[in-house]
Amino acid sequence: MKNWIKVFILAGFVAMCVIAYVWIFVYNKPHRNYEKAKADYELQAKDCYYHFSNGAESADITYTGKVLEITGIPTYVEDMDTCSIIVFAYESGMFGDEGIRCSLLPKYYMQSKEINNKEEITIKGYCTGYNETDVIIEQCSLINR
Amino acid sequence: MKKIVITLILINAIFLTGNAQMFITKNGKVSFYSDGSLEKIEAYNTQVNSAINITTGQFVFKVLMKSFSFEKALMQEHFNENYVESDKFPNATFQGLVANLNDVDFSALGTYDAIIEGDLTIHGIKNKVKEIGTFEVKEGGIIGSATFFVKLADYDISIPGAVTGKIAEDIEISVDVDLKPRPTN
Repeated sequence: MKNWIKVFILAGFVAMCVIAYVWIFVYNKPHRNYEKAKADYELQAKDCYYHFSNGAESADITYTGKVLEITGIPTYVEDMDTCSIIVFAYESGMFGDEGIRCSLLPKYYMQSKEINNKEEITIKGYCTGYNETDVIIEQCSLINR
Repeated sequence: MKKIVITLILINAIFLTGNAQMFITKNGKVSFYSDGSLEKIEAYNTQVNSAINITTGQFVFKVLMKSFSFEKALMQEHFNENYVESDKFPNATFQGLVANLNDVDFSALGTYDAIIEGDLTIHGIKNKVKEIGTFEVKEGGIIGSATFFVKLADYDISIPGAVTGKIAEDIEISVDVDLKPRPTN
């Protein structure tokens, strides 16, 4: 086989590998798995809430966009179709209870039924910020349950 | 901090006006959709705060931008980092009122067309909007829905040159809120 044909085939192969890599690992890269991610901060749920409600900007810089592992006694669980929201309520305001709202991953839906307002739990998830009533944590998993 | 105080004053104004009958939710849904030639973009957010005062017709909703969930992780990254710059502008808000309050009978079950007028703030840019929505008055609550289009350029959201013309310049926004009477403290 002539050299230029070999080079052409090799270049084509390399180009296909690059396209496949970009398609799989860049364009279609999976969402970050927050369940397996290491927490950036581990803290008490109450401390987290008051950090936001007392000075949202510094808390925003520290915690928003980070993986948080929070521990506390939940106030109640809201049922939302196939997922649950665990609520840690610390204040009462214009929108009712104010605190931390944690959206659980759907796989924890059944386990969320066992959560009560007497036992301390630890939850890990992605903090999307503070909406001036609640700290929102998404894609949460239950730790050690 | 200043922004928080202003927002709280505005929300307070809504809650303290007249003999307020407030309906609220913290689980409102806002989604958006755009179908450009390069790709279809769809995202949703299910932790939206919303409130309506049925006496005055004042209506608000507030959305955390980082709570939008996309099918593709790369889109979500681009949305937060390049388009809405959610670190800098973490919220989108709407504050307005039901302009045709006389046509909406919140005391009688039924579905009513509503004209919603007010200020929509996205990416730190506030624009006047006037859209048609519906309120479905049902036992124990009100379901509010609206679908409307926003032009990205109106909110100073620029599309990178490489994909100009391939990503839609208008996006369709849908709002669905299941409002319940505000619990008394």
